[in-house]
Amino acid sequence: MNLLFKPKMTLLVVLGGSALAMFSVSVMAQDSVQSKQGNGKPEPVASKGDLLQAMNLTSRAFRAAANRVQPALVTIESYGGVSAVQGRIGGIRGQGEGNTTGLMISPDGYILTSTFNFIQQPPVITVITSDGERRFAKLLGRDETRKVCLLKIDGVSDMPVPELVDEGDVVVGQWAVSVGVGYGDTSPALSMGIISAKNRVGGRAIQTDANISPANYGGPLIDIKGRVLGLCVPMNPQSQAIGAGVEWYDSGIGFAIPVAGKQKLIERLKSGEKILPAFVGIQYSPNPDGQGLVIAKVVDDSPAGDAGLAEKDILLAFDGEEVNDGLGLRQMLNRYESGQKVKLVVRRSKTDEEDEIEMTLGSPPKPKGEQEQLELPKIH
Amino acid sequence: MNWNPTRSVWAAAFLVALCTLPNIAMAQTDNQQTENQSSFVQKVIDGAQPKMVKVFGAGAARVEGFATGILVSNDGKVLTSQGVFLDGKQVRVVLADGSAHQATVLKRDRESQLALLKIQAQTPDYFELSPEPVGKKGDWVVALCNAFKVADKAEPISATLGIISLRTTIEARLTVRDVAYKGELVLIDAITSNPGAAGGAVLTADGKLVGVVGKIINSSETNTRLNYAVPSRILADFLEGKTATVVDAAPVKNAQAADLGLVIFKFGGRSNPAYVDRVIRGSPAATAKVKTDDMIVSIGGDKIGTVKEYTEALKTLRPDEEVLMIVKRGVELVRIRITPRVKE
Repeated sequence: MNLLFKPKMTLLVVLGGSALAMFSVSVMAQDSVQSKQGNGKPEPVASKGDLLQAMNLTSRAFRAAANRVQPALVTIESYGGVSAVQGRIGGIRGQGEGNTTGLMISPDGYILTSTFNFIQQPPVITVITSDGERRFAKLLGRDETRKVCLLKIDGVSDMPVPELVDEGDVVVGQWAVSVGVGYGDTSPALSMGIISAKNRVGGRAIQTDANISPANYGGPLIDIKGRVLGLCVPMNPQSQAIGAGVEWYDSGIGFAIPVAGKQKLIERLKSGEKILPAFVGIQYSPNPDGQGLVIAKVVDDSPAGDAGLAEKDILLAFDGEEVNDGLGLRQMLNRYESGQKVKLVVRRSKTDEEDEIEMTLGSPPKPKGEQEQLELPKIH
Repeated sequence: MNWNPTRSVWAAAFLVALCTLPNIAMAQTDNQQTENQSSFVQKVIDGAQPKMVKVFGAGAARVEGFATGILVSNDGKVLTSQGVFLDGKQVRVVLADGSAHQATVLKRDRESQLALLKIQAQTPDYFELSPEPVGKKGDWVVALCNAFKVADKAEPISATLGIISLRTTIEARLTVRDVAYKGELVLIDAITSNPGAAGGAVLTADGKLVGVVGKIINSSETNTRLNYAVPSRILADFLEGKTATVVDAAPVKNAQAADLGLVIFKFGGRSNPAYVDRVIRGSPAATAKVKTDDMIVSIGGDKIGTVKEYTEALKTLRPDEEVLMIVKRGVELVRIRITPRVKE
């Protein structure tokens, strides 16, 4: 049974008064109900002791924030694709039947969304922009380390784009609202929470306790002013499967990928690049005699094999960092992508000497039983 | 993923939060506030607890034998979730003071999944059911539910805080065999989709009843569990004996099936988009200039994602009633007005 808990009340404990004061100020700026004190600072609403009024103003701020980002939201419609077997694809929970969410990031029609939304490999995709127009969309590159991908619609030049927040300006504890159209209404659904942590999943994601689910994957996580903190995606730092993380939907553990300052990444996606997770190709066990991981098996045709790693060698360091446990290695790998070069330090079992070797990281092989990418129907 | 069901811990944490919140907040803003001033959440919860009940019935394999309920009259009427747990020999209702009462089932509704019970007791504290919508998107809500029957006897029912995510009409079903719920819902972001939570109260920050927590359902749109309330208007209608839910659009009365004169491509092994294989000569599709290789995008405003959805949509059309069809032709989206004929 999938038991879901979301201890939202911790929010109150954590934030307490400073947050109340903070949102009062934000709300007043939003709704132009600002009154000035002698020193020019906005007067905290809660000073009258009317917390109810303050809470109502927060609600207005949530709505105002969502209204600000709404013009940049798009509804993504997919046609056809791989059939889910009992709601599951490739061993993970599959997509629903509904539409999904995307975010317009440039006036000329580039849309950032989540790879999760195309898990069924639909051969045809359309999007409905906020002006109500439905347009045919092309799927360009994808970054499977961040679970984001890029769509393009043609023939547009003045699409509304959202304001982005630099990752450096995101503060743990600040308000965060997830926004998505996945429930099928023209108006997006909102879920509120806070930023729980930064630099998650190899530094790629920020974490939030707002509900993140297929209802808003590909949609924005916004601040109280309606600015984009990140793009909601499913993620699980321990798994690289395409849908991994969806098992944590609505759990209070959710992730978003910061968008501001990611121009290089966007350019790679525009060129159609597929960025894949890093893969080494070893099975290992902890070293009972000390530091490092003992290599139990080297996978055939893997980067480890190509780099000359052998069974019983001990992996001591990965790109300058000591390796002591499997989880640590997994988390280090989350910071890399397929194709990058790294330096490994290994103690050879044959010679008992330390070797430094260079390795080009590969990408994980398809899980057993996974279908090869199906040929799309040749109809246009 | 396993979450440790220690709801009571959260209930305790919540009480701590309640005691702490106003103090910190006031310290920040106005030191003249007295310590015993209660926060709005505390007021809401304190005000609502006497109107909440715990309902126990017969459990069956994989179906919990308990739910939450709310009092809706001063003479012991209890609104709760409909379910097989009400079919047992006894249904027991436990009031906020811990007293247990034998209940009879007055009525139930399959569409809205609601049941009305009656106990022999005076219940001066009860919820008024508003016929108007209560609460807007973004408004704070408190959900009071006895999920996992954490609270027993006179113990207060667990509270969770969230906001209204969306007021919408949604199609969802419990299991494939169950009747689909097609009606108005208030989606919230507090987690209520847990066993025993159904029948719980969802309240605004000023203590008004938004609705009651519905049974655990899965949205077919997202393939996820929904956290939602059945809105107060539907509850009021159910109590007054009106149709409890917004039912499906009026069924086609004259049972004449409609036809467009299209033959759709069939592929194996995939759920495919509805591509036009052939347009039958002299048919509505031919008149409307539908072409081979067009992909049907929508009919009458409904998206056609797959061949199956096309077949379903065809059943909702009526002969001689024009509909708007959108097709993808190359990379263009073409709008076509088409008038179905009677299927021969």
